Amino acid sequence: MQENQRRLFLKTVTSLPILGGAVLAVSAILRYFKPTAMGGPAGLVAPPDQAGSADQPVAALSELTKPWDFKDFIYIRQSVEYSSRKVQGAKIPGFVVRLPDAQADPKDPKTKYLVVQRICPHLGCTFNFVKDPNELAGSYNYNPPAPTHPYFACPCHLSVYDPTRKQEAPLIGPLPGKVVSGPAPRPPRTMSFDIKDGQIVITGTEGGGVG
Amino acid sequence: MARALYYLYRALLGAPATFLAWFRERWEKMDLFDESHVAEARTNPWFTLGGMWYWVWMLVIISGVVLMIYYVPVTDQAYHSIERIQFNWRWGPVPIGGMVRGLHKYGADAFIILATMRVYRMWFTGEYKQGNEFSFIIALLLLIVGMYSGLTGYLLIWNQRALWATKVMATFPTYLDQNPAWLPGGALINWTNQGKTTAQILLGGTSIGPATVTRFYAFHFMLSFIPMVFFELRVYRRGFKRMNLSHWSKLAVFGIILAIAIMVPAALGSPANPEVTPNPILSDWYFLAMYQFLKLQDPYLATVLTVSIPFLVLGSMFLDRRPERAWGQRQIFNWIGIGGLIYFVVFSFLILNGIADIHRDAPIWYYTMGLFLLIGYGQDWAYVMARDGKRWYQTFHGFFVAFILVAMSANTLYHYFGDIRERNILAKEAMPRVLAQLQAVNPAAISDQAFDWLEKNRPAMNLWLTSHTGPDKPPGMELWRVHVALWLLIIAAGTVVGLVRWGARQEALAQAAAAKAKPKAKAV
Repeated sequence: MQENQRRLFLKTVTSLPILGGAVLAVSAILRYFKPTAMGGPAGLVAPPDQAGSADQPVAALSELTKPWDFKDFIYIRQSVEYSSRKVQGAKIPGFVVRLPDAQADPKDPKTKYLVVQRICPHLGCTFNFVKDPNELAGSYNYNPPAPTHPYFACPCHLSVYDPTRKQEAPLIGPLPGKVVSGPAPRPPRTMSFDIKDGQIVITGTEGGGVG
Repeated sequence: MARALYYLYRALLGAPATFLAWFRERWEKMDLFDESHVAEARTNPWFTLGGMWYWVWMLVIISGVVLMIYYVPVTDQAYHSIERIQFNWRWGPVPIGGMVRGLHKYGADAFIILATMRVYRMWFTGEYKQGNEFSFIIALLLLIVGMYSGLTGYLLIWNQRALWATKVMATFPTYLDQNPAWLPGGALINWTNQGKTTAQILLGGTSIGPATVTRFYAFHFMLSFIPMVFFELRVYRRGFKRMNLSHWSKLAVFGIILAIAIMVPAALGSPANPEVTPNPILSDWYFLAMYQFLKLQDPYLATVLTVSIPFLVLGSMFLDRRPERAWGQRQIFNWIGIGGLIYFVVFSFLILNGIADIHRDAPIWYYTMGLFLLIGYGQDWAYVMARDGKRWYQTFHGFFVAFILVAMSANTLYHYFGDIRERNILAKEAMPRVLAQLQAVNPAAISDQAFDWLEKNRPAMNLWLTSHTGPDKPPGMELWRVHVALWLLIIAAGTVVGLVRWGARQEALAQAAAAKAKPKAKAV
């Protein structure tokens, strides 16, 4: 009897740390199920994940004078990372496009410009700005209806976006860049921008997408 | 019905014990690399596939270990370290580096080819029957592991193909966070952001960064090596011969791969550039068909379907429950295999030549898929009729045929009459006429306005609303809802009828057993 109780005591004492270790191990796995990146209504990554990125000028207005002038740029988005630097900069490629005046609101100069991320919302390739309708038909499997204008088109899975039209994106609202061909589920991700000293300055980006 | 439920309840009570016995039998019979087909392999080269497969796997691991010495698994140095291995291969810093790399690459290709051939051999000859299910599952699992090992392997080069494949592969899981609201538990999974977390684990951060290649290196090593450890453990415990293959055959396989490696040096591509996606950009050959498949549909659906392909194969294996193994006696399953092969070859061909029309083709593929099944079913129907000497209506499976027909019509209607205006065939045909009329009034009219006009004035064209309903559109009759309802109805009716028949069979069996037991009781 005595013997058994001693055994029981010893067994309890040894099993407690083992159990504790097991709980710790399981908790590390369970941690995986606790949300880190918050997918808010706009698909935006919430502050704990996204470190502040400084405003970055990306294009001069003098480069975008005629309709359908465009410029591609790289915006560096900082995100929190478990490294010695604490943050990691993701390169987010983007496009500024000067829209035709008919598309813009004459009172608001910002509506003359369309700024989007070039990361395809389908599976993350970088899409192009295609001006030639023959190239669209040949390489991107899309015959634009006449009269034609340039489109955004992705070489990977052939999604084509129309910069002149808007489409309802789930939980966000209407966005420019309606999907007119291919498998993309929504228009391109957006960037917020300001016009300062004749420059287009990016002030923030929509989250999601692999940079 | 009540009887059937009673027998179902009894079967469920006995399920754990039945399953354990079932599992044990299959575990004993499990054949990993055709080691139990020694006699067949002497006369039939198809049965040497398993041994060759294992031999190629070993070659790949050995050459991989050599490459490990020189390869630098860091994002900004990976490409240059491979350049260093590949070139200067005779006198340079890495002796015969290009050859070893070729051996590794073409060996991996051979691994996937042999695995595919072996899976097809097992499928077409019904080798998974008579308690050999696990052998087939292992063969399929190792093929998938091989493909993922290949994927993580070609990412290590960190050229353009690798970079864009990584992006696509890391974006896939993010669709896990976009489950539709009607899916049970979908909202919970969306809330936990499993998809984004998985993507971050794959990439080693929120975006492609210094750690990405290191992660893929670890995955590559793990996927290739751990299955081999398990296999060696089984060899050690069972004591069978590893490779059911003569030394000459081994030498021949090695020689062929080495010759290809020398004649066609493994490609290197151009270094990764995150700013430009080349056009066209292709994956490695074994993913080409799936790549083309992705172009045809919504990414959430495509992700679910792509991931479920192996499960569908396994599921249809368990549906093939008759004991017949001859070619002409299981035609549905032959057609599933032939269909898969056709899609693989044709899709790869289409994407390589860039000649597919993604607007036109999808319904054709859905149609042919249903057609293959219907042809197979027709042949099987005829076979069963002849085998059992029954009338045609006695062996007809109406629910199965109805299910396929509904599926075929659903996909076709969806693609031809969908509400997405540019994909709606009727709207597309009517648009130029409307545009001409609009331009007669206003020369500046554009196609968009023509589509608007059609939408407003020809609501019949949007009768078959599919998935998208905006604030400006009434929900209307959504085609997919009608079809899902029809499907569920067919499945429910089929289940009830099947259950009743099964119950009647169990009843007959029980009665037969009782009748057998009775005289015995009297004798005692």
